[in-house]
Amino acid sequence: MSLRSGVATAVGKTSYWFLHTFMHGGSSLPGKLAARIDPEILKHLGQNYDVIVITGTNGKTLTTALTVRVLREKYDHVLTNPTGSNMEQGIVGTFLHAKRSRGQRPLAVLEVDEANVIKVTRYIKPIAFVFTNIFRDQMDRYGEIYTTYKKIIDGVRLAPEATIIANGDAQLFNSVDLPNPKIYYGFNHLPQGDMKAPTNTDGILCPKCQHVLHYHFMTYGNLGDYFCPNCGFHRPELNYAVTKLGAMTPTASTFDLDGESFKIGIGGLYNIYNALAAYAVGRFLNVEPAQIRQAFTSDERVFGRQEVIHVGDKDVTLILIKNPVGVNQVIDMILTEPENFSFVGLLNANYADGIDTSWIWDGEFEKLGAAGTGENPKIKAFLTGGERYKDITFRLKVAGIDQPMIEPDLTKVTAKIKELPTKKVYVLATYTAVLQLRKQLASEGLIKEGMGA
Amino acid sequence: MANYHLTIAHLYGDLMNTYGDVGNILAMQYYAKKMDADVTTKLVSLGDPFDPNDFDIVFFGGGQDFEQTIVAKDLPTKAAAITDFIEDGGPTLAICGGFQLLGQYYIGADGERITGTKSMSHYTKNQHDHRFIGDTIIKDEQTGEVYHGFENHQGMTFLGKDEAPLGVVSEGAGNNGADGTEGVHYKNVYGTYFHGPILTRNGDIAKHLLVAALKRKYPDQDFSEQENMVIPATF
Repeated sequence: MSLRSGVATAVGKTSYWFLHTFMHGGSSLPGKLAARIDPEILKHLGQNYDVIVITGTNGKTLTTALTVRVLREKYDHVLTNPTGSNMEQGIVGTFLHAKRSRGQRPLAVLEVDEANVIKVTRYIKPIAFVFTNIFRDQMDRYGEIYTTYKKIIDGVRLAPEATIIANGDAQLFNSVDLPNPKIYYGFNHLPQGDMKAPTNTDGILCPKCQHVLHYHFMTYGNLGDYFCPNCGFHRPELNYAVTKLGAMTPTASTFDLDGESFKIGIGGLYNIYNALAAYAVGRFLNVEPAQIRQAFTSDERVFGRQEVIHVGDKDVTLILIKNPVGVNQVIDMILTEPENFSFVGLLNANYADGIDTSWIWDGEFEKLGAAGTGENPKIKAFLTGGERYKDITFRLKVAGIDQPMIEPDLTKVTAKIKELPTKKVYVLATYTAVLQLRKQLASEGLIKEGMGA
Repeated sequence: MANYHLTIAHLYGDLMNTYGDVGNILAMQYYAKKMDADVTTKLVSLGDPFDPNDFDIVFFGGGQDFEQTIVAKDLPTKAAAITDFIEDGGPTLAICGGFQLLGQYYIGADGERITGTKSMSHYTKNQHDHRFIGDTIIKDEQTGEVYHGFENHQGMTFLGKDEAPLGVVSEGAGNNGADGTEGVHYKNVYGTYFHGPILTRNGDIAKHLLVAALKRKYPDQDFSEQENMVIPATF
């Protein structure tokens, strides 16, 4: 260890201890301090770990959590970064506060923000990268999908020996030739047809000849078994696949991976992709399918972001939404609810939410409109709120819900929820709206404060 | 059944569909219904023919840089027909990249000059490493109407002498950050950098487009009721 790294590590660890002890919690400060003293601190901190970097626009957090769970079935020491600490300083902080491990060389499974991949690979050569997907995501902050992917591969180019474990159903991940070994995972659960993506889909051009891609079948967004009818470009051979979909509800999904049955305690097709990614990493590191099955069901708190909160006699499920593909997956998921329910949409437009609310118009709220109108509708009531309640209210009106209830003030939303006509309530909210609502729920003693597991 | 029927051409809708621009079509459907009209939307994309006589409204949304360059290669096959539609008073809404592509040319992200349909006289330059991003408010000096939007563009567009802006900027950057104009209003063409989308936040523009389309398609009918329809604020 250089003197500089030593000092940086000591300062980082001390400030972590101080913050943790006296300020009730961490922050990015220790990582920031350490990185300022020694910009190459990550090289020193990461050299004793086999690192797996998980990146992509959607699904990073759950994929990371599931991967850690899977790897812990076989490996004693698996370090990971807490939710939200997926930039350089948070990663430095994660290593700083890791306990020293003995015996096996430890693993580190790191959720890394797309633009921060290069900040990691400059100092650490991971053994693997996991690419979940790249969808349009708050374009006022992140830009276009091609730019996002370029940022990722700029980082990957510094680690040409790392195995890329990528979503094979995403054509973008097959668009640039990279020297790395590759493993692809995806879906193979439907018969082969010939279709195009729905009109309002992003990223549907063949990367080789720029014709519009066709699909043998699609899963969601622009994901599926794509092929180009013009030049023959097609989805790569999958190493690991979902071979069958079973029962799906908002709280459970059953499916087959490579012919064997699995279950996870969460709904949504997108979460099966997350489980599949974790499965692929597990298989890559020789975790047995039986161990992975065990990992998926051993502790349901891993799916904590969709916990059920009891508000009066209501069972409220609070779900974070942030971009069009994500909200469409959530809409599909809540429509698998067997009981009647009420819908709450809370929209803010602070920096963390994305300051441009246009994306809600890419969300297929018409599906909710259809389920909320007509004779004996499944969705019995609609409530809107948040700083941009006007935007989400008009979105619902255009979707066919003429008179949603409106409560702009998020501190009053819990009272309004108690008035809803159904026991089940689904709340879809943007990031800062989730935080504000959770704060209110905590002040009423309904949950503990914080973002959840 | 509605009394009137309108058909929208969604130009390159599978490639030019960023930032919720499809909400403009949803808004037109929504307001058309209140005007006793129903709306069909047809995708007109790469390799598809565009016959101006088949359509009552043309909608051309914004796209990502890569998709826009691919669209520009296909556009010459449709440029003359699009110009015919516009010159004949065809109601047209063009957002961001669509707005740029109806003009003379734009300078792409890599500095290359990409030719538009040349239907209108504006042209677009590129600013280096900077985008105009944020909420915008403009005022149409002719009608006094105030419009709200959200801009997110690198291009700097300059209007031709025969083009009037959609509005004068009171908040935000507008076409180029310099001359205080935003968008274009030429015949029945509304071009703009507004997302939001523009028609969901500014129902009056949806009304103008729809009324123009109805009058053009049904010249013998009286649409004064539709014209006098009051659009409640949504933003």
